[in-house]
Amino acid sequence: MSPPKELKIALDCFSSPLPKVFAVHFLCCFALAAAFQFAHVYYSSSLVSDPVKTLLVLWIAECPIVLLGYGFLRQDPDSCSYWKAVGRGIIGIPAGALLSASGAIILGAPVGLQYLTKTLNWSFLLSLFTVVPSATVFGPSWRDWQHLFGNLKITGNVDHMVSLPAHGAVIGAWFGAWPMPLDWERPWQEWPICVSYGAITGYLLGVIASLIFALVFQRSKHTKSE
Amino acid sequence: MATLTCTRVAIFTICAVLLQVVGLFLFVLGFFPTKPALSGVSGPESYNFPTCNSTDGHVEELRRPPPEQLKALYEGLSGIPSSFDRLVLMVVDGLPAEFVLGKSQMPPGKSMKEAMPFTQSLLSNGKAIGYHAKAEPPTVTMPRLKAIVSGAIGGFLDVAFNFNTQKFLDDNLLGQFDSIGWKMVMHGDETWLKMFPGLFARQDGVSSFFVKDTVEVDHNVSRHLDTELRAKDWNLLILHYLGLDHVGHIGGRHSVLMAPKLNEMDEIIRTIYTTAILQESAGKSTLLVVVSDHGMTDGGNHGGSSYEETDSLALFVGLHSKIQDYTSATQNAASQVDIAPTLAILFGVPIPKNSVGVLIPETLSCLADEQQLRAIELNSWQLVRLLLAELPHLFCGNSPSKDVVYEQALMTTRCNHSNEEKLYCFFLKAVASHEIWKHEKLSSSTSSYVNDLHNVTAEYYNFSRASAQWLSRRVTDKPLALLAVGISIMLISSVVLVGLLFLFSKQVGKIQSPDSRNFGSKWHLDEVFVLAAVLIHAVSLASSSMVEEEQYIWHFLTATLFFIFLRTSVWGQLAGASSNSCNGDRFFQILLTLSLLICGRILRGWYQGGVNWTHHPDISKWLEQMGPVSVQYLQVASMVLVTGLGLFTLHQIKTMKVFIVLVQASIFVTSICVLLNTMVFKDSMTGISTYSATSIAQAIYATLGVTFLGVTLTAPWLMPVSSYDIGKAMEHQFASSDHEVHYNYLLPCIRDISCLIGRTTVVCWCLLQLLLQHKIKAGPLLLLFVQLLICMKYFSIVGSIHKPWVKVAALYFLGMTGHFGLGNSNSLATMDVAGAYIGLSSHSTLLSGILLFIITYASPLLFLLSLVTYDPDEGVKSPLDLQSRAVRHYLQVKFGMPCLVPLALNSVVLTTFTIILLLMRNHLFVWSVFSPKYLYVCAATIGVYIGVITVAAISGEKNENEKVLKLGVSFRTSYMTTLSPSHKRWLEAVLEVLSFSSEQDISSFVRTDAEGI
Repeated sequence: MSPPKELKIALDCFSSPLPKVFAVHFLCCFALAAAFQFAHVYYSSSLVSDPVKTLLVLWIAECPIVLLGYGFLRQDPDSCSYWKAVGRGIIGIPAGALLSASGAIILGAPVGLQYLTKTLNWSFLLSLFTVVPSATVFGPSWRDWQHLFGNLKITGNVDHMVSLPAHGAVIGAWFGAWPMPLDWERPWQEWPICVSYGAITGYLLGVIASLIFALVFQRSKHTKSE
Repeated sequence: MATLTCTRVAIFTICAVLLQVVGLFLFVLGFFPTKPALSGVSGPESYNFPTCNSTDGHVEELRRPPPEQLKALYEGLSGIPSSFDRLVLMVVDGLPAEFVLGKSQMPPGKSMKEAMPFTQSLLSNGKAIGYHAKAEPPTVTMPRLKAIVSGAIGGFLDVAFNFNTQKFLDDNLLGQFDSIGWKMVMHGDETWLKMFPGLFARQDGVSSFFVKDTVEVDHNVSRHLDTELRAKDWNLLILHYLGLDHVGHIGGRHSVLMAPKLNEMDEIIRTIYTTAILQESAGKSTLLVVVSDHGMTDGGNHGGSSYEETDSLALFVGLHSKIQDYTSATQNAASQVDIAPTLAILFGVPIPKNSVGVLIPETLSCLADEQQLRAIELNSWQLVRLLLAELPHLFCGNSPSKDVVYEQALMTTRCNHSNEEKLYCFFLKAVASHEIWKHEKLSSSTSSYVNDLHNVTAEYYNFSRASAQWLSRRVTDKPLALLAVGISIMLISSVVLVGLLFLFSKQVGKIQSPDSRNFGSKWHLDEVFVLAAVLIHAVSLASSSMVEEEQYIWHFLTATLFFIFLRTSVWGQLAGASSNSCNGDRFFQILLTLSLLICGRILRGWYQGGVNWTHHPDISKWLEQMGPVSVQYLQVASMVLVTGLGLFTLHQIKTMKVFIVLVQASIFVTSICVLLNTMVFKDSMTGISTYSATSIAQAIYATLGVTFLGVTLTAPWLMPVSSYDIGKAMEHQFASSDHEVHYNYLLPCIRDISCLIGRTTVVCWCLLQLLLQHKIKAGPLLLLFVQLLICMKYFSIVGSIHKPWVKVAALYFLGMTGHFGLGNSNSLATMDVAGAYIGLSSHSTLLSGILLFIITYASPLLFLLSLVTYDPDEGVKSPLDLQSRAVRHYLQVKFGMPCLVPLALNSVVLTTFTIILLLMRNHLFVWSVFSPKYLYVCAATIGVYIGVITVAAISGEKNENEKVLKLGVSFRTSYMTTLSPSHKRWLEAVLEVLSFSSEQDISSFVRTDAEGI
């Protein structure tokens, strides 16, 4: 069984001090930026000109960083080895992609062979933003997932780190879909370009928010302990 | 806080609705112009230079000379001899110009060319000249006919009057012809007869409202052709052929019937050409003008503003002009309103007063150059008169002497002022150069004379085109005060409705769970989202492309709402992981929500819809490619499934078995009739409606009506409180309190009545739709029905997770999404006119209007009617709940919710869009996008009223019934407790027997009891 709540919070703070949080977030964002740059330089492609290739580069670059980074933050370091955490993250990738893709299609994403690769690559990226971090950190612990996504009762830095960017990415993607029916005839209105932009923007905002929360949390911790 | 009683809510709601109607009426009256800019008829004064005091028209009108004199007077004043004596105006309804002239520099396709060999030979021999005559939206017949004969662009609301044609009183060509004593003959669409009653010497009207008939309707016109062409007494012969439009409505642009129909039209043109034009007798020359009132979309519908619909034809046959080649005869663009001034000049009558058309230059090439100049001068003067009425300050300002102005005008080589000033500048330039030309006419040499002449003509054309464009898109002065009053009344009404809903919901929440959840203060995600969605949708209507593609927005919002429901189910109810619902139940919830979402996605994919991506592949297009057989399989399968599911849901009701079997039987018979109707009659490609098809459809209407009325009127009074249960209760000495009786016996009973009425209504509605809708829409109808059942089931399982108003709002959302899922859009073109004549044996505007409304608003009305089953009692968990007065009071007003929520949500959209329409009044798309949408919004409002009134009426009946039931039960229970044990046993036996024949009226049942003892 999981330890009592007070203990858990204490453990959280102990096991994931601010620098660690900062480092993981920084690495994730850096990987995104680097992947964009890489795609631009080597394939001379951007999200607008070649969404499939760019999204592929993005999620492949993001994949190891997220897995390895969040592996350090795993919830139960005593009972679960580092590589086991990474392993369950890997299982989370296709599962999350399946969830994202079916969600997008139900919300109206176009179906068809010509959209298949676009939808797939997009859903892998969204999976890395949403499901994979929490799969790596929490594994199959349903209660933690419920706390994180169901009740929004968030305690501790790791919870913020997992929950805020994930929610940000989903909400960002939702808002990103709004320009699609407009008749501006811009190439970026195509599926899934503006939705990807929305998801990335939302993710980054979530990261920033979680960092702010972490700072505030740390300070209040300090004042309390003094 | 003031409590809301039943009557108070009802009174407030009714007041708000009435206010809304008044506000809407005022706004529509003010916004949509119904009167033309100038009144009266053009007379001899139109041959004078326009002056600023424009009262001369009325003075002249009083003493009009007799026709023959007037004709001579016109000819003398204009200086243009009329080139023709007789006009044959052949209107081919719905013929796209593309079929005859081709599209974008390309000749028409081979099949089209082969279908009309004679017309094509006329075009290539230079005997005819054709134009792509752009029609203005709305592209429906009557407004377009008005535009053809008057040259004016009528008010937008003409589309509403299209079903109820009225006499055309504005100045028009036919009136002008009448005044010079022409004899006119009309054969064809009876719209002409309604517009010009008593004008025609001979007439044969055919109705445009039997869309299924493509053969007889044209034969009825052509049979007069030989006699009329032999008769020499007429000056104007109008032939209006409707068959081609009907072919389009049935089978679309590429229907197999299209080529034969075009060939038939070609033969008629050949007959007219060879008998009337080639054999001119004694200088009587004839002009044949073939026009179409509008085009058609790929699906064969029309009404909107796409290129396919506005691309109508104007073909002049028999002009004595020299047209070089096929390309110059076909690649010409004009406007539909240009036809009226051109014909007026060619036949020597004044141009109708409100015409905004410009002469078509090539058609005048039979006239001498000076006459051409005079013609365009007259056209310009007529346009100036219109401008004078619109912009008196510009043309009638304190002008200096004529010469100074003219000199100034000539100095400016180019007119680059603001719009209105530019028009003035153009006009001055034209007049000035005309004056100079007149001075130099005598002195100068011939070559420069001709050159200058052409220059002056060009100047006039410059002015005419610019002013015609400005006039047709002019910003008419709206009575702003009227609009402001209308909008503020609507605002007040929607504030009242929304406020009422808010208070009501708060009160219901308080009563439903006074302690457990802190209702009212804390908002849940689904509630916040519903509010946000309503606002987002209302605001999104400010963008023209969001209006065009509204189907995406509704689907996106509804799917998101159900994703939020799914989220609630997945993560369990609120705090406790799964405190009061077991895991299996939750799994079922998730399954239901998921299947609802998947149904919604298939529905979205059925019709691509909208404007910009409407050509993308979708399920309906795919099915059409698969051929009629698979479509029919799908249709039959949908019918069987809808009927089966409907019967099953009725079967689930436990009480009143005999009555329910009766209802089921009648529904079953009806569905067999519908099936028969589809199998036997709908698959014939020609779509000729036979007598038997009509009578079967009428029989279906009758049985559906009888079933619906029978169930709603009798069911509440036939439903007994199960006597067996009463007996049991008596045995256990259970029925000690009134509330327990109510809880244990009345509530289930009332619920069953609601279910029975609601489900019967919904099934009847679906069967009606299956009969009326296009056959490809049977699939979406099934999906909608399944969605409705799933949604109902979901709401009955989840209990009070969602607030009542959220549930009603979710149903309303589903209804609006389904509206677009059935292939509707915000363009008038997607209205399915073909279905509006099913089962009508004679033409009736009112009945086909009602059928059209039923077809178009199938989905919103389905979900509104389903609110009859709305069960407010699911919050009541135990008989103790009922003891509090508040709860009983709540049960009294329980039916407020399904009425208030749709009214409030709709009022938000209506008011917002009214304000948007006012703000967008100068927008380029105001007539093509925003105004059609406004008509849809108004019609949706009417739909909401109808649905809400039905629900309220049925609920009111149930409420009355509940009181009677309560009375009966309390009487019976109190009576029974006083009995001795032996009597009781005996009575029990009687009751048990009686419970099998359960079709007993409660009062008679009580009487039986009394007599038994």
